Amino acid sequence: MKRSPRRSSQTVADGLRRSRAASTGSVLRVEDLYLHFRASNGTVQAVDGVSFELGRGESLAVLGESGCGKTSLAKAILRLLPRNIHRFTGRVFLNGTDVMEFGEEKFRQQVRWRQISLVSQAAMNSLNPVVKVGHQVAEPLLNHHMSKEKAFERAREVFGVVGIPEAFMNRYAFELSGGMRQRAIIAMALTTNPDLVILDEPTSALDVLTQASIMNALKKIKHDLGQSFMLITHDIATSSELADEVLCMYAGQLVEHSKATRFYRDPLHPYAQKLMASVPTLRIEKKPEFIPGQPPSLLNPPSGCRFAARCHRRFERCQEEPPLFTHEDGEVKCWLYEKGSRDGE
Amino acid sequence: MENNTLLSVKDLRTWFELKRWGFLSAGFVKAVDGVSFDLKKGEAVTLVGESGSGKTTLLRTVLGLVRPTGGEMLFAGRRISGDKGQSQQDLAWLRWQIGFVQQDPYGALAPFMSVKRILVEPLLVNKVKKNEREQRIREAMEEVRLLPVDDFLQKYPHMLSGGQQQRLVVARALLLHPLLIAADEPVSMLDASVRVEILQLISRIQESHDLGVLYVTHDLSSVRYFSQRAFVMYAAKLVEKADVKEIVQNPLHPYTQTLLNAIPDPDPENVSRFRDVPPGEPPSLINPPIGCRFHPRCSRMIEGLCDAEEPPEFEPSSGHFTECWLYK
Repeated sequence: MKRSPRRSSQTVADGLRRSRAASTGSVLRVEDLYLHFRASNGTVQAVDGVSFELGRGESLAVLGESGCGKTSLAKAILRLLPRNIHRFTGRVFLNGTDVMEFGEEKFRQQVRWRQISLVSQAAMNSLNPVVKVGHQVAEPLLNHHMSKEKAFERAREVFGVVGIPEAFMNRYAFELSGGMRQRAIIAMALTTNPDLVILDEPTSALDVLTQASIMNALKKIKHDLGQSFMLITHDIATSSELADEVLCMYAGQLVEHSKATRFYRDPLHPYAQKLMASVPTLRIEKKPEFIPGQPPSLLNPPSGCRFAARCHRRFERCQEEPPLFTHEDGEVKCWLYEKGSRDGE
Repeated sequence: MENNTLLSVKDLRTWFELKRWGFLSAGFVKAVDGVSFDLKKGEAVTLVGESGSGKTTLLRTVLGLVRPTGGEMLFAGRRISGDKGQSQQDLAWLRWQIGFVQQDPYGALAPFMSVKRILVEPLLVNKVKKNEREQRIREAMEEVRLLPVDDFLQKYPHMLSGGQQQRLVVARALLLHPLLIAADEPVSMLDASVRVEILQLISRIQESHDLGVLYVTHDLSSVRYFSQRAFVMYAAKLVEKADVKEIVQNPLHPYTQTLLNAIPDPDPENVSRFRDVPPGEPPSLINPPIGCRFHPRCSRMIEGLCDAEEPPEFEPSSGHFTECWLYK
């Protein structure tokens, strides 16, 4: 097992971690990733030219409505793809290495669950009912050729990290509550000490209180171990519990990538603004609004800006597809932020 | 005052028997255990609770889908269940009066039926006259803005978006001109931007027709703007009842306080904050704890009182009820 040196120091101050992230580079860098599926009536452009970078120890929330391609993005990064692929291009750098060059077997051995692990949607319901939970958590290690004692030792360790009593190792999935099962799944993703954990809707099936305690556990892992997370969710309020940065997707494209402090307070892209306005809040008096219309079909997305038809700030320029403009707090795919015109502010 | 009450529930109990051998019973799952509330005409009420708290069972009992074990239920002054049990006529009448909006719109709509067929079904079952059917369907669809109506009638559920499907479910609930809409997690399966649309729609219909609405949800923040009062349910009991504003700004019961604490608002500061979560998990409804059901997890537990005696309902301020010994 490769152990990265960052584990040696347990708690690192935020600023220090940031500067170190800059020096050691990013965990994940995605460049111009395309994932198109073949369908009977055309090609579905699920991920359409997405580029972003994630620093070490940082968490990135990927937000967007259902069908905007956020899960496809995760699947593309992990190369968990179905057969009907039409186009799968782009570059994915993990710790500086382009893993898109790897063959399938090399990718499986060196990347999947070794460097990136995944907590997939509703995974807590897919635990094996006839295998003890402890064994299931140790399984990725056994598959990656670790001795049985060592694997179970490590499983015990991660059980502690996610906050499950050690005695639960010998229990079966049905003996665990929903929250505990979700913790077991997260433990499974952490056993191999990956550089990046992708969480796909980790709390959407859970109760409010359970959700809060899972988020607490994830925060603790992030702070103590400096773990990098990519959190895919449509629950914007919950995503703010973990995110340092936010990537907002719309119709297969990245529309805004900015710092959490910017995104949750004052997002840049008109879609992100509307999306934030639709989030109900408990403590602040604000009547939520909805976005009229529907997202476009990914089969034949409109040319130009894909949000233009529903946008309240549309103008002539929107007939052309906007590039990703750089902003002080991030990047935004909107003509309002073209250099020189600062109306977006 | 009495005739202003649409639904009145007193000490309602719904228990499910585990197993029975002759006279021997293995016990009961007390899913609803002594619940009382009133719902006024034209009022929207939210029932908040975690899964397993019995909120869905309470809703199903109100809908007449589950037979209550005890207690009394009056709907628009008519006794639906009481000492003599439920009569079939009363139940049939009750089901006319309550429109049900299910949680998962796709699961609630038969995939092999067209929109027209889906909407005509309740009218056929309830023997609405033929010449009236078409008109009722059109009215309901216009009400939920599935326009133009003729385009939608021939479509099948899979051809509709999630929001449209849920609007269809709402339209179906409106067909029989009910007095009460009961919505079980009406927006939990939908995207944030569509949620508000559906809630606004239900709220508009509620106001224009002066309907009562009973929302059952675990997400208080999304329905708080669309309802007037909220009931908080924990382990088969209503622990707090008050105006939504009161509940949000001044929660009294320790459970309500922790529940509200756990709900995040989108705020970048959340990253550096840990939330207070009470230890343990909701109790089993087969053998609930003696005394207050929240006491094993409560940080303000009074020894000798909370773990011994079940708290009755107190009213610390007018219209704000809570079952907690702290307010005796």
